[in-house]
Amino acid sequence: MSSTEAIVLAKTPRSRRRHPVAVWVSIALLGLVTFLAIFGNLIAPDATAQSILDSLLPPGSPGHLLGTDELGRDVLALTIAGASSALVGPVCVALGSMLLGILLGTVSGYLRGPIDFIIGRWTDLLFSLPLLLAAIVVAGVFGAGYWMTVLLLILLFSPSDIRIVRAGVMEQAARPFVEAAQMLSLSKTRIMFTQVLPNVSSLIITNSMLNVAFALVAFSSLSFLGVGVAPGTADWGRQLTDGRAIMIDNPAAVLIPALLIIGVASAANLVGDWLGQILTRTGRS
Amino acid sequence: MTQLNAANTPAAGAHPDTPAAAQVTVTGLTVDGPAGVVVKPFDFSIAPGETLALIGESGSGKTLSAKAIAGLLPAGFTARGTIELASATIELPATDAVWRATRGRRISLLLQDPFTSLSPVHRCGTQIAMTIQAASATRLSKAECTELVTQRLAEVNLPAEVARAYPHELSGGMRQRVAIAAALATDPELLIADEPTTALDASNQGEILDLLRGLQEKRGMAALLISHDLGMVRGRAEHVLVMRHGEIVERGVTSSVLNAPSHPYTRALIEADPSLTDRSAGVVRAASGAGAGGDAATGVGDLVVATDVTKSFGDKTVLHGVSVTVGRGETVGIVGESGSGKTTIARCIAGLEHESSGVIAFHGVALAPGRASRTPKQMQIVFQDPYSSLNPMISVGRSLKLALRVAGRPASDLNGLLQLVELPLEFARKRPAELSGGQRQRVAIARALAVQPELLICDESVSALDVSVQKQILDLLAKLRVELGLSILFISHDLAVVRQLADRVYVLRHGDVVESGLCHDVLTAPTHPYTQALVAASIHEAPTH
Amino acid sequence: MLVVRVLGTLGILLVLSIIVFSMLHLAPGDIVKNLLGNRPSSPEAVAAIRAQYNLDQPLYMQYLIWLGNALTGDFGQSIRLQDSVSNVIGARLGITAALSGLAFVLALVVAIPLGVQSAVRSGSWIDRFATGVGIVGLSAPTFAVGLLLLYVFAFYLPIFPVYGSGDGGLDTLWHLVLPAITLALGLGAIILKLTRTAMLRELDSDYVTFGRARGLPDRQVHMIALRNAAIPIVTGASLVLTFLVGGTVLAETTFALPGLGTLLQGSVLFKDIAVVQALTLLVAVTIATIALLADLAYIFLDPRIRAKEGAQ
Repeated sequence: MSSTEAIVLAKTPRSRRRHPVAVWVSIALLGLVTFLAIFGNLIAPDATAQSILDSLLPPGSPGHLLGTDELGRDVLALTIAGASSALVGPVCVALGSMLLGILLGTVSGYLRGPIDFIIGRWTDLLFSLPLLLAAIVVAGVFGAGYWMTVLLLILLFSPSDIRIVRAGVMEQAARPFVEAAQMLSLSKTRIMFTQVLPNVSSLIITNSMLNVAFALVAFSSLSFLGVGVAPGTADWGRQLTDGRAIMIDNPAAVLIPALLIIGVASAANLVGDWLGQILTRTGRS
Repeated sequence: MTQLNAANTPAAGAHPDTPAAAQVTVTGLTVDGPAGVVVKPFDFSIAPGETLALIGESGSGKTLSAKAIAGLLPAGFTARGTIELASATIELPATDAVWRATRGRRISLLLQDPFTSLSPVHRCGTQIAMTIQAASATRLSKAECTELVTQRLAEVNLPAEVARAYPHELSGGMRQRVAIAAALATDPELLIADEPTTALDASNQGEILDLLRGLQEKRGMAALLISHDLGMVRGRAEHVLVMRHGEIVERGVTSSVLNAPSHPYTRALIEADPSLTDRSAGVVRAASGAGAGGDAATGVGDLVVATDVTKSFGDKTVLHGVSVTVGRGETVGIVGESGSGKTTIARCIAGLEHESSGVIAFHGVALAPGRASRTPKQMQIVFQDPYSSLNPMISVGRSLKLALRVAGRPASDLNGLLQLVELPLEFARKRPAELSGGQRQRVAIARALAVQPELLICDESVSALDVSVQKQILDLLAKLRVELGLSILFISHDLAVVRQLADRVYVLRHGDVVESGLCHDVLTAPTHPYTQALVAASIHEAPTH
Repeated sequence: MLVVRVLGTLGILLVLSIIVFSMLHLAPGDIVKNLLGNRPSSPEAVAAIRAQYNLDQPLYMQYLIWLGNALTGDFGQSIRLQDSVSNVIGARLGITAALSGLAFVLALVVAIPLGVQSAVRSGSWIDRFATGVGIVGLSAPTFAVGLLLLYVFAFYLPIFPVYGSGDGGLDTLWHLVLPAITLALGLGAIILKLTRTAMLRELDSDYVTFGRARGLPDRQVHMIALRNAAIPIVTGASLVLTFLVGGTVLAETTFALPGLGTLLQGSVLFKDIAVVQALTLLVAVTIATIALLADLAYIFLDPRIRAKEGAQ
């Protein structure tokens, strides 16, 4: 299966075409969401405040640009406040699984032998269950909260990082410059982290950017299914579950968060692809 | 151009309606790349049954010229000029429709690497049959196809069973024969062969070239032979063009170009090609200490003694008890074709590979297998591929300083090190990607020498370089050997290269030493039939037919 | 090699079954209460549960008995639906199979030709379009796409039914169109990317240049390349399958289809552990089997591998 990932994540060999416009739009969108994730609380301090009197107002109502939901919460404020839930978790998942990937992948790919075997079987095991299914079952049955879900997803995302780093390290480790370092009798740890790893960095950065996109999808899927995020939290996935029933009264309550999830995930994916192309181009001659 | 015509077939001319006897004439062939003209306009013509060789080093534009004539230029490149064939005249750039009618039927292109030029998941017969079908006006029945495929295979001296085989079941030489059969299945007027033997072992190269020559004469087909190897064209091409930086610098009848080159670049190419220069005395070797070989033979002052070394990968044994000795200050060559085990023995000595059995001793002290028992100062290695032997993320200066630090030398020795390998001092700041192949190999040598090793192992260290650069690196090694009193273990598939540098030589075949002795003796009077074949292949003797 | 592969699969399934079994004991709360659900906890009922799950036996015996029952199709009772787990699953299997089958065919029929064209005409508008759709399809969560489609094609333009699975036959098929398109977008994006990447790599290879050089028609050259690209595309099947499982849960939930996906979601939220165990194991076995078949296809598709396997 690792070869498949390599293909899915592979930079298309012949495509020299850049997509600057789409990339700039994506970066702008990611920037906006990051801004909202940091300052959302200041812009919309009482996003989750309920008001039965104002429930189910259509978009364009005075004081409520995007209307309100069944509980009378302002959809715009709720959406702005949801940015932090949408970004913090996925970024933590990407960083955490990147760290696990670097550590275990490098050790596994460079040292080989029994350590590689054990790590390999571990990733096989985690891989044999679909990520989303495992997350639903574990988070649902054990009632995990937001941060437990982050840890769970780090665990479930890590095998692909481990395999990608391992494959990259193995490719680099067979190169003569690594053997030249061995001829200088440098220690294995030193060769691994100073000679081999920097050459895999473009792969790692690209993959982490893609992981942000996939983690956002996983997170919002879990909250859409009613696991992972506590009810009442400002969260885009949660908004979709709640908004399904009021689609006719206030379509904005569903369409805006749905478009945002699709947009942010696509943007992260696009920027990841683009970074990969740029980094491999500068890494090689 | 006019000279060529005059020398060929003065009467034939280039009239498109002249039947079979017409020649192929290309005028004003130009290739434009994204950054301007890549190949400057040139003309040539080839008479039926004759071969024109286009010689140049990598990057000279020879392959782009070939692809331009076959209509297979990569995206971003366009061609100009006119191709006149017996059956058609093609104005470049031509449309897809024109190329569809031309490629295969009139012009066919044979590629360099038989290991990649056939589809791995289709049977050889199918691939030949597809070509036959593509050129045929009518739909052929299965039996007709099989019949024609068998005929085509017979032409290239292959049995009919090969049709059922997948490419991976055949040797490199056989695959190239299948490729030739496929390329000629449409009976083109012009065959372009782009380095058709470069990927093959020396013993196969001559056979393939002679086969091509024979087929071509029988059909009266014109051939354009692209090569980097001036020595190879002797006796195999009537005329030769020498290309450099996209420009033809010399042209003429092969023998006169080889014997009396007029352009300095052609002279340099001939001088750099060891097979074309004086064969009896290694010019470089004469400059070195001559007594070393004698010492080593008596066993006094041996630096490295490898005894009965065996090595297996899984159930495949690549070394069956190889013994190699390198004396102090001596240069020892190990020669063999790919798969002979020559690189494996070098890597076992370096500790990069763990030998399965046998003893490797340094200064009379046995070393345990692997790097752990060795120190950097004992030996260093310079690898084959200059593009991957330097860490792309690290500047030249940092790479060298790391090596200096390991040896306990001050970072200020960096300048001296760069001077030693004749590189400008500002190269310290450059990344490997900014360097040419030859420059990278100089940096790799400098890194190896930074720790002042007693033994330098060169594993095919010049074989990835162009001939003119090869010569520079060999000269550098010869100079360093004298200046630093280095011992060198030199691994190569190229006898001509070993001859220039080595005092003694071992000939390896299938993991056994078949012959060894003083370099001059072994290469001038080989006793083992295999060595004799290697020597014969390496001096590019003209085919006799 | 193949034997090792089969043994590896069995090993993984064994470990997974242990994990799935221990779910019962690791779930928060009292095990008997969890198993009773909202039935009254009379001493008889408790005793019945303890007997049924052999809770008095040592843990490894409990596991062995559970595994033995599971292998014969007995996963116990669903506390939420008051029926045997096998009945519950059997009743919902059809709709899920129909949904994923429809989505899979839809994805293949569109994505493979599009991927080939996109690689052949690299850089053209069709390639840009395919890449754009591919990125969105790969990133957009199934439920978000589903809700958008639902709004546009069921509310705004009332062409398709909103929720449910219809009354069987053509009506059910009609109800499955939107969910299948939703699911096919993600599936197709994966297949598209696999196809395009594999095709680009193959089109760049020497045998394609040599094929064109000796005058083979473009169509035939593309077919040769596709035949070579088939190897990585088919091996990607497991990736597609992994997506399909998660996607089905989301698509069924979005369109309120009574399939295995909604069953899993409902059971997870209700902590109906017997059903969750059965579904998890079912998915694991299915995936392992299909991954194994993909490996077998690899041997079938690549003569080099075939030769190696045959030699052993």
